[in-house]
Amino acid sequence: MYGFEAMTFNIHGGYLEAIVRGHRAGLLTAADYNNLCQCETLDDIKMHLSATEYGPYLQNEPSPLHTTTIVEKCTLKLVDEYKHMLCQATEPLSTFLEYITYGHMIDNVVLIVTGTLHERDVQELLEKCHPLGMFDSIATLAVAQNMRELYRLVLVDTPLAPYFSECITSEDLDDMNIEIMRNTLYKAYLEDFYKFCQKLGGATAEIMSDLLAFEADRRAVNITINSIGTELTRDDRRKLYSNFGLLYPYGHEELAVCEDIDQVRGAMEKYPPYQSIFSKLSYGESQMIDKAFYEEEVKRLCLAFEQQVNT
Amino acid sequence: MHLFNNHGNSFPSLLFLLKIATRGHALLKKKSDALTVQFRQILKKIVSSKESMGEIMKTSSFSLTEAKYVAGGNIKHVVLENVHTASLKVRSRQENVAGVKLPKFEYFTEGETKNDLTGLARGGQQVQQCRVAYVKAIEVLVELASLQTSFLTLDEAIKTTNRRVNALENVVKPRLENTISYIKGELDELEREDFFRLKKIQGYKKREIEKQLASAKEFEFAEKDSSQKGISRNSAHNLLSAGREKDEDIIF
Repeated sequence: MYGFEAMTFNIHGGYLEAIVRGHRAGLLTAADYNNLCQCETLDDIKMHLSATEYGPYLQNEPSPLHTTTIVEKCTLKLVDEYKHMLCQATEPLSTFLEYITYGHMIDNVVLIVTGTLHERDVQELLEKCHPLGMFDSIATLAVAQNMRELYRLVLVDTPLAPYFSECITSEDLDDMNIEIMRNTLYKAYLEDFYKFCQKLGGATAEIMSDLLAFEADRRAVNITINSIGTELTRDDRRKLYSNFGLLYPYGHEELAVCEDIDQVRGAMEKYPPYQSIFSKLSYGESQMIDKAFYEEEVKRLCLAFEQQVNT
Repeated sequence: MHLFNNHGNSFPSLLFLLKIATRGHALLKKKSDALTVQFRQILKKIVSSKESMGEIMKTSSFSLTEAKYVAGGNIKHVVLENVHTASLKVRSRQENVAGVKLPKFEYFTEGETKNDLTGLARGGQQVQQCRVAYVKAIEVLVELASLQTSFLTLDEAIKTTNRRVNALENVVKPRLENTISYIKGELDELEREDFFRLKKIQGYKKREIEKQLASAKEFEFAEKDSSQKGISRNSAHNLLSAGREKDEDIIF
């Protein structure tokens, strides 16, 4: 199944694969992190980072250095690398890469819309957006007076248009809580991405559906836990769960009626991969769930990388 | 009120003023001591508050970092954009401590903290924890603010009171005492002068009488002469026996 793609792979993807391997080598190692832990001041951190790949981005900053500057510059490195790859990519790789940024785009759109609703300045809002999620007409979001105009004027030209139309009517847009809107959009995005990967087939489909299923399930669990005790109704909750993943559909039914952490744990323990995550947490403790899921996600991403690059 | 005499002017006697000054001095000293005791207590509380504040601010900053790590770096902006008005507010009251009005701050929650769906899909727990940590930080900060303003106000009050105490002690009272002793001295001197004058006059009178007696012995008509001169023979008697008869020279 994988055999014959390897023959033609390098024509389109060879250069980029080499770049990706290079980036992989540039990630900070455990030794780097140890060094960073030993630092006493921000200048020490800058000094240590200058020996890594982040050096060139930080060396032009005058001291005293601010924590937000360091974060900004490191993000800038990520954005630069991403843009470089995007330029070099052909279809369908370029679409795939763009899909990765839709999540950030959703966040930016939601941010600007809330800011405009509360009458903040557009320039300030633009500065707060995540760089990976910028698109050209983003500044015109602030011009719209209500959600219908917003959709008609701006969003219909962005890749996010289908997510708005298939899940929300215009009345909903007006009085929906902003978080619910964000999560509905994200659900539509995940489903769309999933379909796209399935269409691509091959190794992509297999690896990505695994990762996306994990993401969908993780979001379902988080939404359940975080909405316990809030005004989110069960139906609303169910509407936010994606239509794929290990938990679909029976797990979602159980999660929708959960009212506290232990019920969630009970629902999740029927699925072996998640049971191991929940076994790390003691009863009644919910703070560590995010951390456990994060670790699991990183593990899976590493595996995906190894599989993809080393076969 | 007996500071006024019958004519309606303020006319307190110096002794009375001295009495008042002494009493006022004692009272103000007591007030100053009470204020100083309060002052020291507040100082102790300030020191412990500041230490705990350093700890709490550190923990709350770190919980904010955790929230940012899990929910994405934009969480700060999302929260900021969603907020209309503050739900935790501070108001001030006046407290009366040993006669000094000290301001005191307390915080209160107004309006429902919107039961937030922030970080619904990731990081919600961390955001809630962060909120709890910062509420605690606000508590400590408000308390510290109260303590510091009371500290400053008390400091002012103590300085004023001490100034008044010292003024009474070192200026007003000595002045009054000096005036009083001067007046006493003058009165004593007047009395002594009077006494001296009296004695002198009595001396003269005695000599006159002796002269009369001596010259009366020579003349048969001693009595007639003496009564002409206006001095009776009996006035040569011992002054001690004059207690029976009134001597017209002595006024008192």
